[in-house]
Amino acid sequence: MNLSDIFLRAGRNLRESKARTILTALAIAVGATTITIAMAAGNGGRDYTNNIVQSSGDAYSLNVYAKPDSTEAAAVEGLPEYGVEAGETAAVNDNRLSEKDIAALRKLNGVESISPMLDIESEYVTRGVSEKKFIAPLSVKVDRTKIDLAAGELKDNMPTTGQMVVSEGYLASLGFKSAEEAIGKPIYVNVLQYAKDGSKTTASRDYQFTIAAIDRKSDTNLYYQEALRISAEDSQTIYTFQRGEGTKALYYGVVVLATEGTNVIELQQSIADKGYEVYSLEDQREQLMQVIDIAQWGLIGFGALAVIASIFGIINTQYISVLERTQQIGLMKAVGASRKDVSRLFRYEAAWVGILGGVIGVFIAFLVTLLNPVITEVLTLEEGTRLLQMDWLASLGLIVGLMVISILSGYFPARKAAKLDPIEALRTE
Amino acid sequence: MIEVKNITKTFGKKQNVFTALENVDLTIPDGASVAILGKSGSGKSTLMHALSGLDRPQQGQVIIDGQDILKLKETAVDRFRANKIGFIFQSFFVSANETTSENISLPLEIAKVPRSERKKRIADALAAVELTDKATSKARNLSGGQKQRLAIARAIVNNPQIIFADEPTGNLDSVTSETIENLLFGYNKNKGATLIIVTHDPELAAKCGMVINIKDGRVESVTGA
Repeated sequence: MNLSDIFLRAGRNLRESKARTILTALAIAVGATTITIAMAAGNGGRDYTNNIVQSSGDAYSLNVYAKPDSTEAAAVEGLPEYGVEAGETAAVNDNRLSEKDIAALRKLNGVESISPMLDIESEYVTRGVSEKKFIAPLSVKVDRTKIDLAAGELKDNMPTTGQMVVSEGYLASLGFKSAEEAIGKPIYVNVLQYAKDGSKTTASRDYQFTIAAIDRKSDTNLYYQEALRISAEDSQTIYTFQRGEGTKALYYGVVVLATEGTNVIELQQSIADKGYEVYSLEDQREQLMQVIDIAQWGLIGFGALAVIASIFGIINTQYISVLERTQQIGLMKAVGASRKDVSRLFRYEAAWVGILGGVIGVFIAFLVTLLNPVITEVLTLEEGTRLLQMDWLASLGLIVGLMVISILSGYFPARKAAKLDPIEALRTE
Repeated sequence: MIEVKNITKTFGKKQNVFTALENVDLTIPDGASVAILGKSGSGKSTLMHALSGLDRPQQGQVIIDGQDILKLKETAVDRFRANKIGFIFQSFFVSANETTSENISLPLEIAKVPRSERKKRIADALAAVELTDKATSKARNLSGGQKQRLAIARAIVNNPQIIFADEPTGNLDSVTSETIENLLFGYNKNKGATLIIVTHDPELAAKCGMVINIKDGRVESVTGA
């Protein structure tokens, strides 16, 4: 018999036992749905992660810091008040990077440029002469990485000269009732001048800033630290006053920009090998991707289990089908159908069931992906996020795979059919 | 020509051996109408199975057109049946879920007749048994007589050289039986195909040109040869 004839006959036979066919196919569909959704979620998750990483900054930039001597975690809510606790002289970073470190980093392969973050320390910050004084970390924003703003506006995600970005968590300490209220308000940073040996002198200066924006942690920001952020120009001014002209520059960190096409992870490893703390988006991205992959394969595993369970359904159904159609098989063989023809007929029927199950499963999964807006809303993700993204090519592959699995599981029933003795099968008395 | 030489068929083993056919010798000329007449359990069905290649006797030869079909491989026997033999059974064995045309199409598909040619052959076969108006009816909706006519159409659609009919009228009333008999003998005469009817009915056997009497697995007599 020609394959096309067998295929058509197989389809016709299945249509005659619709309920059984559909029920068997539905068992497969459960697994197919699970697997398809797992693939869709993996796709969406990876896509979402990439979006986060891209909005978090440049994939080729690495933040490099000196390794801290000890890990003293300052678990203080808000800002500690100046002069109240013993923490007033506690430096935020004990370790600094020098020009020597920068020179060493520059020698590494794949380093395109290095932007140092000047090490400046404020003595205290305050809203006015008679107001409370606070110890607050000053941070210099040297990159254009997107930051989420609760209020205010920034050009290119960078504060300009005289502008300051204040973290939302500091608002209460500073006495602001809302983020909007803080915008445009002045804030003063008191800076002590240091002697050549690094000890503090009594000379100090107040720098006035205007609060331009309030920033906050967002879901799409991978590492966020509360700080008062100022521009690179202002940091240079403060640094010059604090350390004096011509002092050896010290940095609390540098941003290393890798050449495009560099393997960032390898570069990160070689920087870490030199004894630095180093963070990169790529590293974070890979870790997230790994988590997504594990979750995805876990889900696919469950789907595969469902498929395996459904295999027994196919085998059982096909065995019943062989018993039911003994006479039909007998007649086919009497009329000259070979064992191969009969066996193929049953295997193709199994194939149809597999295809049907796969198509139903993929279709249900597709319906589930239509719930994307709901999922985005429930999980309060960014608007327009599609956490489930159909992989049509893989779905097609899945259907073909299920067809093959079904054919294989139809093997034993098909063999039973092929081996039927036509004389026995056609005996009526 | 069908030559049967000294075939013996036994079932079972050792103490339970049952001899269904014993040293059967026969010659059936081309185009003959033959009745294999015998009682239930006489071995007449076994003889038909042996002649059609459905069964393999342990001894002897079944030579059809000079070829001993007992020496052929299974696939070759399948091909031989597909191309040269038509079957009609007492219980019709039509696929109830399929249409009349689909039922008739089966032997053509098995014999790998090109799709373009099938349509005409099916139409011819339907016309021969006067079922043209039922071409798209499901077989389950046919009466007993119509089902047997459908079975005949299926048997003749591939222009077989030999038609085996196993109690073809056993399940039918006398009027319908006559129609079926007329169709079978008509085909035998018009197309020159050998018709072999297996029956226990002497009346039906009497209508055949040659009658082979079978009893206890032996040929008792052959008349009209």
